[in-house]
Amino acid sequence: MSVTTTPTGSVEITIDGQALRVPAGTTVFDAARMQGISIPTLCHLQNETPVGVCRLCVVDTGARVLAASCVRPVEPGLKVVTNSEKVVATRKTLLELMMSDHPSPCARQRNSGDCELETLAAAAGVREPRYARRSVSRGHDDSSLSIAVDHDSCILCDRCIRGCDEVRNNFVLGRMGKGYAADIAFDLNSPMGDSTCISCGECMVSCPTGALTNKSVAGTAIAIGPGAEGFEAEDLLTIPVFHGVSGTFLELNRGAIVKRRFHKGELICKEGDFGSTAFFILEGKARVSISSPIAHVKTQGGAQGFFKRLTSTLAPRESDKREEEARDRTIPIDASVDLSYENPVAELGTGDLFGEMTCMTFYPRSATVRAESEVVAYEMLRNVLDIMLKNKTFRAQVDQNYRKRALENHLRGVPMFADLSTDFIEHLKESVELVRFAPGQVIARQGDAADSFYLVRIGFVKISENYPGGELVLAYLSRGDYFGEIGLLGGGARTATCTALDHVEVVRVSGEDFRQMVERFPNVRRGLEAVAEERRSANALRMQMVHSVPIDQFLSQGLMEAQSLLVLDLQNCTRCDACVNACADAHDGITRLVRDGLRFDHYLVATSCRQCRDPLCMVGCPVGSIRRRNSLEVIIEDWCIGCGLCARNCPYGNINLHPFEVMSDDPEHAGRQKATIKQKATSCDLCTHLKEPSCVYACPHDAAHRVDPRKFFAEILAQGALK
Amino acid sequence: MIFDDLRAIQLRHGFLPKAELESLSSRTQTPLYQIHSVASFYPHFHLAAPARAEVRVCADMSCHLNGACELRADIERRFANARRSEVEIRDVSCLGRCDEAPAIAVNDHIFTDVTADRAEAVVRAALRGDELHDGHPGQARMACASDPYADAEKYGALRAEIATKDWGGVLALLKEAELRGMGGAGFPTSMKWDLVRKQPGPDKYIVCNADEREPGTIKDRFIMTHLPHLLVEGMILAGLVTGAKEGILYIRHEYHLQEEILGEEIRSCYRAGLLGKNILGSGLEFELRVFVSPGGYICGEESALIEAIEGHRAEPRNKPPFPGVVGLWQKPTVINNVETFINVPQILSRGVEWYKTAGRNGSRGFKFVGVSGHAARPGIYEVPLGITMREVLFDHAGGMRGGHTLKAFAPSGPSSGYLPASMADVRLDFKALAEAGSMLGSGTIVVCDEATCMLDMALNAVRFYRNESCGKCVPCRVGSQKMVDLLVRWTQGGLPETQYRADLALLDELSQAMSLTSICGLGQIVPAPIQSVLKHFRAEVDAHVLQGKCPSGICFTAAVRAGEANRVGIRP
Repeated sequence: MSVTTTPTGSVEITIDGQALRVPAGTTVFDAARMQGISIPTLCHLQNETPVGVCRLCVVDTGARVLAASCVRPVEPGLKVVTNSEKVVATRKTLLELMMSDHPSPCARQRNSGDCELETLAAAAGVREPRYARRSVSRGHDDSSLSIAVDHDSCILCDRCIRGCDEVRNNFVLGRMGKGYAADIAFDLNSPMGDSTCISCGECMVSCPTGALTNKSVAGTAIAIGPGAEGFEAEDLLTIPVFHGVSGTFLELNRGAIVKRRFHKGELICKEGDFGSTAFFILEGKARVSISSPIAHVKTQGGAQGFFKRLTSTLAPRESDKREEEARDRTIPIDASVDLSYENPVAELGTGDLFGEMTCMTFYPRSATVRAESEVVAYEMLRNVLDIMLKNKTFRAQVDQNYRKRALENHLRGVPMFADLSTDFIEHLKESVELVRFAPGQVIARQGDAADSFYLVRIGFVKISENYPGGELVLAYLSRGDYFGEIGLLGGGARTATCTALDHVEVVRVSGEDFRQMVERFPNVRRGLEAVAEERRSANALRMQMVHSVPIDQFLSQGLMEAQSLLVLDLQNCTRCDACVNACADAHDGITRLVRDGLRFDHYLVATSCRQCRDPLCMVGCPVGSIRRRNSLEVIIEDWCIGCGLCARNCPYGNINLHPFEVMSDDPEHAGRQKATIKQKATSCDLCTHLKEPSCVYACPHDAAHRVDPRKFFAEILAQGALK
Repeated sequence: MIFDDLRAIQLRHGFLPKAELESLSSRTQTPLYQIHSVASFYPHFHLAAPARAEVRVCADMSCHLNGACELRADIERRFANARRSEVEIRDVSCLGRCDEAPAIAVNDHIFTDVTADRAEAVVRAALRGDELHDGHPGQARMACASDPYADAEKYGALRAEIATKDWGGVLALLKEAELRGMGGAGFPTSMKWDLVRKQPGPDKYIVCNADEREPGTIKDRFIMTHLPHLLVEGMILAGLVTGAKEGILYIRHEYHLQEEILGEEIRSCYRAGLLGKNILGSGLEFELRVFVSPGGYICGEESALIEAIEGHRAEPRNKPPFPGVVGLWQKPTVINNVETFINVPQILSRGVEWYKTAGRNGSRGFKFVGVSGHAARPGIYEVPLGITMREVLFDHAGGMRGGHTLKAFAPSGPSSGYLPASMADVRLDFKALAEAGSMLGSGTIVVCDEATCMLDMALNAVRFYRNESCGKCVPCRVGSQKMVDLLVRWTQGGLPETQYRADLALLDELSQAMSLTSICGLGQIVPAPIQSVLKHFRAEVDAHVLQGKCPSGICFTAAVRAGEANRVGIRP
């Protein structure tokens, strides 16, 4: 609080025996500083309104109690002693009190050795604090991408609060609770990463201890590799897209953004690789492509003989058209462009951002990018990208690029939008909104009024429906998928809840534009209606199945929804593994069956695709090549790049990677080809080319059965085997 | 006002749902964190759905002396199997019903002289969804010696002063009467009013601090019940003397009945033309309204109280500047206690000479004192200032309960520390009590009989301060907790003598730092109870720490060890 009366003139006071004259309204703290006397403080910063809460700056003015010099204005004749025995002793007590709850060394002390509390305490001779330590930790908050919060190190000096309010006018954080239980909190005590914080870094810069530290300090810097160039934060700030980013923040994140130079033909990133960075092209052109064969694994009858064998080959759509194969769906990748099925190559240029999903959610690289000319790009880690995406200038440029170059392809990538006229697309380019959602954020809630249509641009969206006692995941949508049409066509409420699963960006088409579109383009309407109807009936069927199942356990296992289960009767099974061997024999030595799984009574439900209620395998596919058929079976599209994420995600070990030898360009010898191993994901195909699955056929003990789960469990239930 | 908004939301939902706070934020253009920061400060607001029966057992001094620990343990046993969403039992700071201890609150309704059976019945009624009614409807108006209008028209002093408009004369009379603040600090009232009167500018405020929350303090409750007209008259006079045109009567939210009584008094004043734009046709102006405190002992600190009225966290301000210069909404503000205001019309209508002779032994005027604890007749007594403590305790309050003997007394709640029975002849006046190392304070006398453990009482008091610390400054926030930790260790006994000596030195260091560096009186006074016990009852403390013995048989019983009698427990 400041003094409202305007002081005039000057005032003579005495500090530590020295007389001095200072302007009226000066604080004792500042007056002492002018005299070259420094008074220790923790809560006071010159650029923030003093609050006088740490009390370290107390001085003796001859009154009953000591005065906090940072908030005490001078008055005529005031005699101040800044370093009497009494003052020094009480300061030491205050430091010891704070140190008794301080996790020493705190993050800041460990990293840079300049925790202000620990420094002052050491200088005052505070050793092992004699007071009891706080018994329960006040917690950590790791949710922000750029700032780590350690409440245990917080001394409630309010510097961050004033930094956020007064310096940056962001108004995000304050004190919460009272007394010894008080803490700092963001918004309504949200995790920092979910709050309205824009990560400007001011709080962290203000913090005297390790309570708010930069995450790069905790060791997340990009390895400096070839082509990396050092730079100063000031250099960055001269580049237009960095305009408005906090210089302090860039300075603190030095290691988390690197400028790289790539020569023509040089590899920038490779499909299937894991990474944690995104690239922003400053100048030059790059070629983005998928080098894996565009084909899927096909199993067919091979050698004839006593044991029929199957062989796996790679077959593209042209030679092996599967049911419900989307006609000309484009391949969604982690960049502002999509690739076409026939020729999966595109160009990226100045101002393009790619690798966003790898950077934000650590998905494998979706495509291979090579420099087509000399390329200069910024490679950045999540904390920097997050800040950049929150920065208006950068955001505007990325959005503009997307609207201009990719939105049309993206819209046309949805088969039924192929008929949209160019002028309408042009209209949409201007009118759609590009919206970001944080992980866990609800985009539309079941029961709410339907007001928009959404096209997924980045990330995964979970579509789920609530039923009494649970939530059923209807689908996971990824780039190029759309949602919200059922509610709009139905003219009423949202029929499902749509939640961002990770870092999600969507294109929001307003209800008005959507209405215009379906009115002007009857084909679009028909297409949408057909899909909507399909989705509605599929969802209804699934909900019905959920309702008819009596035991929660089945629900959680997802078994009831399976089309077909491989069940081993353990009373007959001798664990001879003939089934597993037969599967391997039938699939080029790669088994798609593991004799392990859930046990019910004396049955073992061996791993095989169960078309889970919550198909985790579909989350994270960097190229969106895994989807469900309408029969709910999993199908892997031709452009699978073999990164293996789906296999790792499947909790039942039911997706396997099948290596193939293919010929590809030899990067070392231009014009020559060499054999390389490429992987493709496969899942159990029920040996559809044989009369009977080979595992069942091979079992010598009549223990392996393919069963219809509903019938099977109904029987078990009737026997009372499962309680 | 943010508290009105929050109360409305809580009334609708039973708590403050996030979505409502978000919409409040966008509606009022208030940052989310500010709303949360305020809502989480006041225990009155729930940020999560509360239990169907929220039981709050008063844990402070008088209730503590009257079996609150055992009562709480008993209620907990009776509802041991209840779900947390059904019954939640917690301690609460002094409910202001010290003369009818022990007191509990169930869903914000207060019940006094509570037994476990009665508490159980109330909780079961709450679980059934029955409407609860506060246990005590309050007393009928009583005649008081302080009331100059027993046979005359009320507001006589105000009418007379308006006729002459000699406000300087009023100040001179108050100065001559040597009227001092009755809230605890005893600051000369005429000086405070004169300071505000001399401040330039048209906007000034009169605030009545009726937020008495110090354990044992119940006198303002009595005054507001029986003499509301003197309070309103005193505030109007303060406004006219200082030139303030607006008054705010800041009352604690547990005083529902007094809120009603004062509301009615203020309305009748408006009807009679004693409040408003043109008081009794004089052209003078004064508006008065009641502000219900969002709760917390710290709100009784004058600058914290101002912060609360402004809709902030009740955190005391750094002083100077004092409220007389920079107060409510940064304007000059008079803040006085209820009892201070009611003395003004008494002095004006009966004269300074009467006031001088109304007290005894050189003290002036009457004092309302609350007597609680182990007294035979706990209650509020109107006594001439300057009589001895013994007269108050034995002539008025009937001596000790059940033929017990007096062991110790706190002249003004925990803040005054504890004095031994041997000092019971101390006079009830500012100077005598200060010389005895204590203070007159607000006249909150808590008495303890011979079966009281003084270390336990000191811990009880420190714990109260720890719970009520706002947390703004380091010495109070951290120091009060560390002092509780230290005393808990002492009550558990068995320390080697060297450690005890080290602890005593540490306690002195801590006491010194807290008294010298805390922003407000709360932090400064935290060491008083334990320091007074060390001074007057040192042997008792030694017995605990060194021999593991409690001479009063309180601290080392099986029940305490089993955690049933929560003597030393720390409130979550």
